[in-house]
Order: sequence, then structure tokens, then C-alpha cells
Amino acid sequence: MMAAVGVYRRSGGWVRAFIALGLTFSLTAALIGFSGKNPITAYEAMFRGAFGSFDRVAFAINKATPYIISGIGVALCFRAGIINIGAEGQIALGGLAATWVALAWPKASPLIGIPLAFGVGMIAGALWSGIAAVIHVGRGVNEVLATLLLNFVALLLVGEVLHGDLGEPGAGFPQSPLFEPNYWLSTMIAGAQLHWGVLIGPLIAIGGYVLLRYTTLGFAVRVLGASRSAASYAGFSVPQLTIKLMLMAGGLAGLAGVIEVLGIHYRLIEGFSSGFGFNAVVVALLGALHPLAIIPAGLFFGFLEAGALSMQREVGVPSSLVAVIQGLTMLFVLAALAASRRSS
Amino acid sequence: MDTFVLDFMVASLRIASPLFFGALGGILSERSGVFGVGIEGMLLAGAFGAAVGSFLTGQPALGVLASAACGALIACVIGFVAVRLGADQMVAGLALNIFVLGLTSYILRSVVGGGQAPVIQVPLLPVWPIPFLAEIPVIGPIIFRQQPLTYLGLIAIAPMTLLLFRTHVGLTLRAVGENPMAAFAAGAHPNRVRFLAVVSGGAIAGLGGAVLALQQVGTFTDGMTGGRGYLVLAALIVGRWMPFSTFLACLVFGAAEVLQLHLQSWSLPFSSYTAQMLPYLIALTVLVVLGRSSKLPAAIGVPYR
Repeated sequence: MMAAVGVYRRSGGWVRAFIALGLTFSLTAALIGFSGKNPITAYEAMFRGAFGSFDRVAFAINKATPYIISGIGVALCFRAGIINIGAEGQIALGGLAATWVALAWPKASPLIGIPLAFGVGMIAGALWSGIAAVIHVGRGVNEVLATLLLNFVALLLVGEVLHGDLGEPGAGFPQSPLFEPNYWLSTMIAGAQLHWGVLIGPLIAIGGYVLLRYTTLGFAVRVLGASRSAASYAGFSVPQLTIKLMLMAGGLAGLAGVIEVLGIHYRLIEGFSSGFGFNAVVVALLGALHPLAIIPAGLFFGFLEAGALSMQREVGVPSSLVAVIQGLTMLFVLAALAASRRSS
Repeated sequence: MDTFVLDFMVASLRIASPLFFGALGGILSERSGVFGVGIEGMLLAGAFGAAVGSFLTGQPALGVLASAACGALIACVIGFVAVRLGADQMVAGLALNIFVLGLTSYILRSVVGGGQAPVIQVPLLPVWPIPFLAEIPVIGPIIFRQQPLTYLGLIAIAPMTLLLFRTHVGLTLRAVGENPMAAFAAGAHPNRVRFLAVVSGGAIAGLGGAVLALQQVGTFTDGMTGGRGYLVLAALIVGRWMPFSTFLACLVFGAAEVLQLHLQSWSLPFSSYTAQMLPYLIALTVLVVLGRSSKLPAAIGVPYR
């Protein structure tokens, strides 16, 4: 019986995801048509931009990686009923901390420097979400509001250090100096952009799956998500669990920030994490909060963004359409979820 | 009184007014039991409607109407997804915000600008000094030398309070937010009440967007609300969902914003970025200090089926 419910839920997730995407792309096509462009030409350009060459694919996978990693953290929290929207700020702090390491010890050997940057970045992300967690658990402040407000502070913090100690003098744009090449994540194939960091996404997904499915903590998360009172009745400490999950999600978001900074830009740039927090939420929802399903969901949005940039260049359809697609996907997934809950 | 203090207070009221419209909309929505996370999107839609409507027609009044219409239209999405279908209100609100961010930017570029980001400049609404009253020392220049929509916001406090606490409609609205089952037993339709509350709240929040676009900025830019909708949510908690106290809370955030602008003009050992954190840090601090003492409507966030 339980297994049957599980199977229904999972297959339901896939069906929901496809229906949501289908509806989103039809509505978006109407929007493209409304602006006097041919939707088919636009989608063709989008498809070419996403899959047209090895470089485009590499670009899209690089883009998807931080979404997947931070999306899994978001999914863990959502599973437990904690609406953590703080990925954006936590990613920013992770990137900021990694930058600090890279600029403070420019001559460190890659074997020490890169792991150190990863470690410090994850701790920074976890601490940032830890603030929200403590405010939420200790003072009863709504977690959505706490994480949202901290996002703004984090983004401004990045701006502040880029205009101060970590900024590149005379760059004319708020960014840090380029890191020494020993801090660059090396690429898998010479001459292509694809870096080794992209393998971390699937690893984290498997880790998240194992955690949810086979550990006591994962069981506690599922119980907490089903019912708060059941969780405390079962002897799980809800405040402790909340803080633990928020710290994990923050650490993962920090990790995503480190990968973005060391793998793509090789420097800290103002606004490098902008929109990542929402993407993490969209990806987590589209993946039905299932760690393994978040991989295709994340890749989908990576390819979508890669494609949208080409679509803007070739057909002149503004790439802000991506945000429309994200918002609509999220709304349709939510609506489908709610509708299926009503009917059951 | 010192002109600096006077200017400071005039500016605080000016900057607080878009927040206050958002907050009035939020009071309706949250009192009926629906989280106002989507206020940010409704403000942005309102700003878009106001700037584009006023630009295309040349009539600021039509722009103001368009802002309320856009806010209400966008709020219908929350009404359908979160109220009718009972989806998670928080996440639906966030989804709405990103959708509006994309949609306004897209329409501005593709429909109004023909592929490029157009520059649309609209004249700011003029200051309307109220005859006689504007001459009163201190209060006159602060309250009676403002732009038209600010007056509208100030005037709205009293009827809004009466509506919520002295009428049958207000009682039903609050009952639905506290205990929808009981309200249903008393003959109300909880989801219908919530839908109407969210949509009319959206229209009011849309006007907040008009305040921003037509009284402060004079144009529309992508994401120009910049998180004001989230500050509104904090103001609601601080003001305990009462129109007048929420107005005072908005004033505090407005003052923080003005102080922030002043900080930038003084030479301080940090850049403008740190100064800009001020409103958010104040919001967080106030929320932490208030803690659990501010009670949400009991049935907020719980879908009624």
C-alpha cells in the first residue's frame, strides 16, 4: 500500500513536471507571438543555443551546476517544511569567502588552496543561513522573511568588499582581481570550458538521496515535513533539526558559490549570484524535491538560460523571458501539486 | 524647527508612501489568511502599469488607474493558485514575483521598445500644497505639502480601520483569517472572501507601484521595487496588521531609507553599499526584538478546503 502511494507520488511528479513545462512553453510561445516574432524560429534559436555545439553544452552544464547543488539544499529544507529562500545570499557569501582565501594566499599550492577555499566557502554559506536559522528558531521570526532580508544584506556585503579591500583598483567595474591560475578549477578537456566542479552536482544529489532515504536524519526530515507535532512526538527536536537542515542548505549554497567563482569567473564579480536563489527554488520544485530528479531539473534550466541568450542575439527576443518561464513553471508545478492533493 | 529635521521628515513620509500602499494591500490579504509574499510583484506590476500607462496615454490619472488594474490582475494569480487551489502561499508569492519581474521586463522591451529597452520618461505628479493647512508651522510642510497619492494613503487609514473593525465585511474578513471553519458555519464563503481580499489588496498595492513610478522615479526600470515588498511584510508584523501602526512602521523604514541616502553624502569610512543595508538590518532587528510577541492571524497560510 505504502509502496503504491510512493510510486504514484513519484510518477505523479514526472507527469506534473511535464505538464507544467508544456503549459509554460505554450504560454511563452503566445508571448513571443504577441511581440511580433515567430515562436518556432525563437525556440529553434533557443535549441541551437543550448545544444548547438560542445561549447554551448559545456556552458549550459556549467550554469546548471550551482542550481543543482543549492537546489538540493533547498529541497532538503522544503521537505521538512522549512521555506528557506536564502540560497542567493548564501551563494554570494560562499563566493566571497573563497575569493578572500584566493587573494590572501595567492601562492598556495592547488592541493591546499582549493580545498581550503571550498571549506571556508561552505562554512561562510552555512554561517549565513545559520543566522537566519537562529533568528527563526530562537525568536520565531518567519524563515522566509529572515532569509529574504539577509539576501539583500549579503549582496550589499559583496558590493562593499568589492569597493574596498577585495576590489580590483581601476577596474571600472566592481570585481576582484583575477585569481592566480593555481586557484582555477581545471577543465576536463583541454580548450573546453567544462570544469571538474560539475561532477560535484551529481555527487551531492546521490548524497542527498542516500541521506533522505537511508539515514535517521532523512527519516526525521520526512516526518517533520509530514507533521510538526508527529516529529516532536516521535522524539525529534524540531528546533535542532531546523538548524541542522538550514546549516546544510547554507553549506551547499556556499559550495555552489565557490564553484561559480573558482570554476567560471576566476574572480569575484558583483551580482555573480543574482537570480541563483530563485533558480534553486524553481529547480527544487520542478524536481519534486527529490535529490536525483533535481539533476535533470537543474540541467533543464542551465540549457534554458544558455538557449535564451542565443535567442536574444539571433531573434531579438529579450532574454528576460527566462524569468517568465521560471515563474510560470513554478506556478504550474504548485498548482498541479495542489490540485493532485485536493483530488486525493 | 531645524530645516534639516524638517526636510528629513518630509522625505521620510514621501519614501514611506509606496511601502504604505503595499502594506494596506498586505493587511487585507493577511487579515483574510493569505500571506502577502506576492506584494513585491504587485508593487512592480503597479509601477509598470503606472509608468507605461501614463507614457502611452499622456494622462497620469490613467496611469494611476492602470497601476491598480495591473496590481489586481496579478493578484488574481495568487487568488487562483494559492486560494482556489490551495497551493503553498509563500512559494506561490515568490513564483509570482519572479514571473512579474520577467514579464514586465519582457513587455517593456518587446512590445513597447521593439526589442530594445526603451527609455520612458513620465512627468512626476506635482506637489499639491493644501491651502491654509500647508501654512501651519511644522505639520503643514510635512503633511500638507505632498504629492496627491500620498494624501490618498493618509486619508485611507481611517476608512480602512473602520472597514476592518467596525463593519460586518471587516468582521467576516478577520473571521476567515482566524478561523475559516467557524466563518463558514456562520454563513461566509472563506475562499470567496480570501479571493476578494487578495485581489482588492492587489489593487491597493498596485497603487503603491504608481507612487514609486509617478511620484519618485518618473520612469520604469527592471525590478525597480528592489525588495520593498519584503520590507512591507516586516512592516506588517511590526504594525500588527493595524492600519495606523503599520503606517508608523512604514515611516520608520522610510526614515531608514532617507538616513541611508544622507549617510552616502557624508564621508564615512564605508561605501554606499553598507549604508544601503540599513533598512534591511533595521527590519531584521525589529523582527528579532519583537520575536513571537506579534501574533499572526491564526489561519494564515492554511488553505481552506
